[in-house]
Amino acid sequence: MLDRELKKGSAELLILSLVEDQPRHGYDIGTLIEKRSGGTLRFNVASLYPLLYRLEKRGWIQGRWVEKAGQRRRRYYRLTAAGKKVLAAQRNSWREFVEAIRRITGIEPA
Amino acid sequence: MPDWKQEITARLASLRLQPAHEAEIVEELAQHLDDVYERSLASGASDAESRRVALRELADANLLPNELKRVHKPFHERPVPGGPGRSNLLTDFFQDLRYAFRMQLKNPAFTIVAVIALALGIGANTAIFSVVNSVLLRPLPYKDPERLVMVWEDASKFGYPRDTPAAANYVDWRNQNTVFEGMAAIADESFNLTGTGDPERLEGRLVSANLFPLLGVDPQLGRTFTATEDQPGSNHVVLLSHALWQRRFGGDNSIVGKPINLNGETYTVIGVMPARFEFPSIDDQVWAPIAFTAEDSANRNRHYLQVLARLKPGTTLEQAQTEMRTIGARLQQQYPDSNTDLGVAVTSLHEHLVGDIKPALLILLGAVGLVLLIACANVANLLLARAAVRQKEIAVRVALGARRQRLIRQFLTESILLSTVGGVVGLAVAFGGLMLLRTFIPENISQAGQISIDLKVLGFTFLVSVVTGLIFGLAPALQAARFNQTETLKEGGRDSATGSSGKRIRGLLVMSEVAVSLVLLIGAGLLINSFLRLRSVDPGFRADNLLTMKIVLPQPKYEEFERRSAFYTELVQRVQSLAGVKSAAVTTNLPLYRQGNSIGVSIEGQPPPPPGLENIVVTRIISPGYFETMSIPLLSGRQFTDQDVRTGQRVVVISDGMARRYWPGEDPVGKRIGTGRIRRPEDWFQVIGVVKDVRQVELTADPRPQMYLTYRQAGFFPAEDLVVKTEVDPATLAATVRQTVWEIDKDQPVSNIRTMEEILLQSIARQRFSMLLLAIFAGVALILAAVGIYGVMSYSVAQRTHEIGIRMALGAQTGTVLKLAVGYGLKLVVAGVVIGLIAAFALTRVMSTLLFGVTATDPATFTLISLLLIAVATIASYIPARRATKVNPIIALRYE
Repeated sequence: MLDRELKKGSAELLILSLVEDQPRHGYDIGTLIEKRSGGTLRFNVASLYPLLYRLEKRGWIQGRWVEKAGQRRRRYYRLTAAGKKVLAAQRNSWREFVEAIRRITGIEPA
Repeated sequence: MPDWKQEITARLASLRLQPAHEAEIVEELAQHLDDVYERSLASGASDAESRRVALRELADANLLPNELKRVHKPFHERPVPGGPGRSNLLTDFFQDLRYAFRMQLKNPAFTIVAVIALALGIGANTAIFSVVNSVLLRPLPYKDPERLVMVWEDASKFGYPRDTPAAANYVDWRNQNTVFEGMAAIADESFNLTGTGDPERLEGRLVSANLFPLLGVDPQLGRTFTATEDQPGSNHVVLLSHALWQRRFGGDNSIVGKPINLNGETYTVIGVMPARFEFPSIDDQVWAPIAFTAEDSANRNRHYLQVLARLKPGTTLEQAQTEMRTIGARLQQQYPDSNTDLGVAVTSLHEHLVGDIKPALLILLGAVGLVLLIACANVANLLLARAAVRQKEIAVRVALGARRQRLIRQFLTESILLSTVGGVVGLAVAFGGLMLLRTFIPENISQAGQISIDLKVLGFTFLVSVVTGLIFGLAPALQAARFNQTETLKEGGRDSATGSSGKRIRGLLVMSEVAVSLVLLIGAGLLINSFLRLRSVDPGFRADNLLTMKIVLPQPKYEEFERRSAFYTELVQRVQSLAGVKSAAVTTNLPLYRQGNSIGVSIEGQPPPPPGLENIVVTRIISPGYFETMSIPLLSGRQFTDQDVRTGQRVVVISDGMARRYWPGEDPVGKRIGTGRIRRPEDWFQVIGVVKDVRQVELTADPRPQMYLTYRQAGFFPAEDLVVKTEVDPATLAATVRQTVWEIDKDQPVSNIRTMEEILLQSIARQRFSMLLLAIFAGVALILAAVGIYGVMSYSVAQRTHEIGIRMALGAQTGTVLKLAVGYGLKLVVAGVVIGLIAAFALTRVMSTLLFGVTATDPATFTLISLLLIAVATIASYIPARRATKVNPIIALRYE
């Protein structure tokens, strides 16, 4: 299991990345994180939703109830303009961070 | 499908969310659990198993509410970015600023103390700067004021490097120069206004018609003088000051063209000057054309004019000075009788108006600057102490990779925020200070009425605030940035500011505070010392219980000598018979008010002096009771009596100084002097008595030779002042005496009703102004320094409680411990005093022009003030030290 702090620090970036292309609901986001990380990263409901609400409150993402034909209504989150900027900035600093770690530790990106 | 809602709702209960909001969260989370449950079922798990998997998503009961609580907490600050990531100056700044605000709100006590210290410092600076700004910096309210100059006769040989020129010299200068666009003459004049309401005496000026165009000032109403009106015979026109127009004529617009009665003659009002116009001085209320007669224009002996000129564009003051000197030299050759050793001096108008007060103002500005420095040192100390407490916060930031630069910037943002708040409060202090200042600023300072806080002052305050923040924030910021993690760890979590470097900075701050306040205190001490000496100068008369007023007899009406004499006689007689009056007298000029008239005399039996070196004697024409009224002691001979009249022997009373000057070692009584050509033996004045010297012009100036004549014999100039010795408070008799004057002549103006004490105070108003202000600043400095020392000592003693406890437990005597603690404080103070003394030796020299009777390095002042400071500092370090010895060793040891 990944260190808790590290996970927390990266969670924002993960969520923002996932809603960049299209709006997604919470379950979708949670599943995608788990799937794409090959099971290394997993957020349970009690952590994931507060995080979403927090990003929403900061104005980086925006949630909206959407009703689709024949389905229950679900809350979809999409990236806002402010969120886009933050995402770009965070990507940059993570890239630098990862690069720095790599140079020091010799860990090659997969 | 299981119902998760109950589970979720239970966990949200403690948050007390709004029902609608809660319902949304419950709905969203329940859906998620549904999905998890379904997926689990789909993968083949049992219902019970799937139910467990879904519920595990909610983790332990506290996680969800705790996480949600964080969402609903106020906006969470992001930590100062660590790594070498991108940084944006502006974003960082706002981030730091928000953080700084929160820091200040968290420590209200700290913030209040710091803001008070800063507000005092910045407020005092703002107040003094606004005076400097209005008086020294703001351009004079005339057109191109930098080209305006005053032209003087340079009579340095007689001690008057800037003497008022004679009309004939002025006329020659005006006609011969090529450097000035124009030149205008100004002469003092006073006018008795009668005919409407109470008669009143008005200060005014006779001026050349071109004065106003030369200044570039237009009247508010009407017009200024024409060249024709500047001729004898057609010069009965006047301009009124705005204040006079408002006060006496109710601001009536139709005043222009109306006649008014001045000095018993009819003048036509042709205009009113604007409110701010005060030229040459704020007292002036009436201007009339000077209209030289042919006789005036040829007179080189009556030196009474002030001359204003405007430099041609591109001409410098030096060029003007050079040419005027040449013209002066030519006139010396042309008129050796009158112009020998007489040069010409050109000074800027600005310097003429503010030159006297400039050194004092600049010194005060320097002094408030020092006060602010001390305030800075105090706040820096506070910040250092707080930085020590904030080691943990810094440690976290450094661990996260915060760069030194970034930490310094954040600390500086905090201190600048603090100083800016201090600046805003300081503005309020400055407003209050200015109100106070206006009550005792000498009113004859040019533009003193215009002192205000304008944009420039606001800019100054802002700048000072920011710079102040940088100054006091730098030490703590550097200290924080030098922070060393390993060291912190080694010191077992106790702050590193107690370490050697923190202690050194604190020590340095205390030392500089002591040094700077010593400089201020010595400066103030020297001024107080001067002022006391000034006050103890014997003016030659007694000022208590003296009521004075100006009674100027108008010319045509009282032209005749007899008529004038009769008026004085009746006036003195009537006033003397009033209840509460001991004696009364008239004189041409009161002492300490104006130089007054001087005349050249010849001494019987001594050769006449060469031209230009006449025996100039300050002359007063008085009534016989003058010496008694003023309590001027008679040293030998006798006083005037009522029998000394025009038909008898002409007599004179001289001053001790005059006696020593002209009859050294002899008894002057019985000797004779002349005041003009002696045609007959009766023209001589016989010396009948010698009185003590009186300081006629100012307390600081040595008395010049003086002589007194009686109004019953000499009519050179009219008496203008009535002086009354009272048995009661002199102010209470003012109305009665004035009424008495009006009983003799109902049209006779009475003005300048003041007690002699007031005149005395007025004559030293400038010295008092500088002394009071510097004393206040020094007092503030002393308090700030004492607080600073106290703070540092408290802190250092608190840090050593543990050590002190051990010492006491091992049997150390209270005295020993006390000595240890106070010793440290004293060492700092003495070092500060030594530095301060050296600085004071170097700095107080700039004050020498403000001092009287003491040298700038007066040993007594230096010693006394140093001792005072050491005493105060000792007390400030003794109190915390003593508290430390009271500590119970057991508690001190448990303290770790």
